Amino acid sequence: MKAFRYLRPASVEEAVKTSTPETAMLKAGGMDLLDLMKERVLTPDDVVQVPAVPERVRRVMTGPDGMLLVGALVTLAELAEAMAGPLPEVAHAASLAASPQIRHRATVGGNLCQHTRCGYFRLLSMPCWKRGDKECPVLQEGGVQENAGIFSNGSCACAHPASLPPVFAALDSLVMIQGAKLERTIPIADLYAPPKRGKLTDTTLAAGEVLTRVLIPPQGDAQLGYSEIRQKEAFDWPLVSAAARVVLRGGKIAAANIWLGSVAPTPHRAVAAEKALMGKPFDDATIQMAAAAVADGATPLPGNSYKAELATVAVKRALLRAAGRTK
Amino acid sequence: MAKGSDGEGGVRRRDLFKSAGAAAAASAFLNPLRAFGQEAGGGTGTPSVGPGPVEIALDVNGGERKLAVEPRRTLLDALRGDMDLTGAKRVCDRGTCGACTVWMNGKPVYSCMVLAVEAEGSEITTVEGLGTPDNMHAVQAAFVAEDALQCGFCTPGFVMSCAWAVKEHGTELTDETLRESVCGNLCRCGTYTHVVAAALSAARAAEGE
Repeated sequence: MKAFRYLRPASVEEAVKTSTPETAMLKAGGMDLLDLMKERVLTPDDVVQVPAVPERVRRVMTGPDGMLLVGALVTLAELAEAMAGPLPEVAHAASLAASPQIRHRATVGGNLCQHTRCGYFRLLSMPCWKRGDKECPVLQEGGVQENAGIFSNGSCACAHPASLPPVFAALDSLVMIQGAKLERTIPIADLYAPPKRGKLTDTTLAAGEVLTRVLIPPQGDAQLGYSEIRQKEAFDWPLVSAAARVVLRGGKIAAANIWLGSVAPTPHRAVAAEKALMGKPFDDATIQMAAAAVADGATPLPGNSYKAELATVAVKRALLRAAGRTK
Repeated sequence: MAKGSDGEGGVRRRDLFKSAGAAAAASAFLNPLRAFGQEAGGGTGTPSVGPGPVEIALDVNGGERKLAVEPRRTLLDALRGDMDLTGAKRVCDRGTCGACTVWMNGKPVYSCMVLAVEAEGSEITTVEGLGTPDNMHAVQAAFVAEDALQCGFCTPGFVMSCAWAVKEHGTELTDETLRESVCGNLCRCGTYTHVVAAALSAARAAEGE
């Protein structure tokens, strides 16, 4: 790692101020940041520790309106524990992530701001469009494509690897962001922006902005399912992850959210699959039909067409879990 | 842990490195050291340290250890290089293999992905703090009894993960839970079945305690 100054602001406001310069970077658990710093993909002069105060930044709380408020510094292990009662599928997703050693350090905020795992992005010796080079080597002849995205992969074929964003998005969650002047609250989908040449992050956070909390609205009788498929059963990144949320009214599906991870540069909403569910009974035939629509609009590369099939299976499994028909 | 350093009548590889590095270390210490709160960061009043060495005090295996580290020094490198606690191993240095596993406040973490400066205020336990050759932890003893190692390089990390699982679940520890608990540790020799057997036998032994 390049030598850096380590700053410990005493408040979120101070963290905003100290992390605003381009040469500064925020650090929570540091799992992703230190990794990229060791590779010298990121070389901040100042590393600013996100402060564990106020308490709301590091705890899971219930709001007066039944909203679940998840602090950005809550670790994945803490999230799994806190969600086991209220939202078991969120706990399921959190406990599948990484290994115990990582879950004890990695935070919710860090997971939402996770950089792509694309091997070209992480190897300075390789060219990378996202890091400012002319072309994305994944898309070139001989490019390694098996982990690349299958949607919106025209200029950069990286995949957004984090597993929590699809889950939180399916739950219609919001994120709170502290800026220099005000704290804003946005739908989690708006936290992500399509990749830009030379832009290293995948979020819409401005310099200095600090993600402080995730707000999960009360879920009522909504049914939630999460499923991920990976190469290894133990300790691996998902090849594809899928989260589904279904609301039934009078035996028919009245609302459906389906989000996928690891298939596009940002968390991906499967709109066609959602449409296929609407107004139908929540049975096998409907689930099959919705799953068949998951790959609509996909543009798989020669080296990762398998991912389109995996996405179909992941959504089917997520829906079956949401329906309570499989563990 | 320094036991047998001259037992073979030779010079240890580590000691050789140490004396070679002494001159470099001494020059680093000529720089005035700073501690948190002494200097403002960027004129904002925010406490900052580095990029040069800073004095810190870590709570390691129940004792206080004072050392000077740059902010970029990982807890792993501080344990191995500054405190001579070489149980935790540096293998992948990317939070992937588990050889550097230590406990922070009783929970396993990859010490290669923790900065030494941020470990201040946490209780750090390394494999040396778990037990000694004369007074082994139940898991360490079970590793010996079950022959749960081959080359041994991943072993300290596995012992820390297994001991955590035994501590968390005691006699309730199942094969599945144990496998999940050690999923962040890799063994290239493939000793997994013996590791599982050792941890489960240590968990059963915990019944009598």
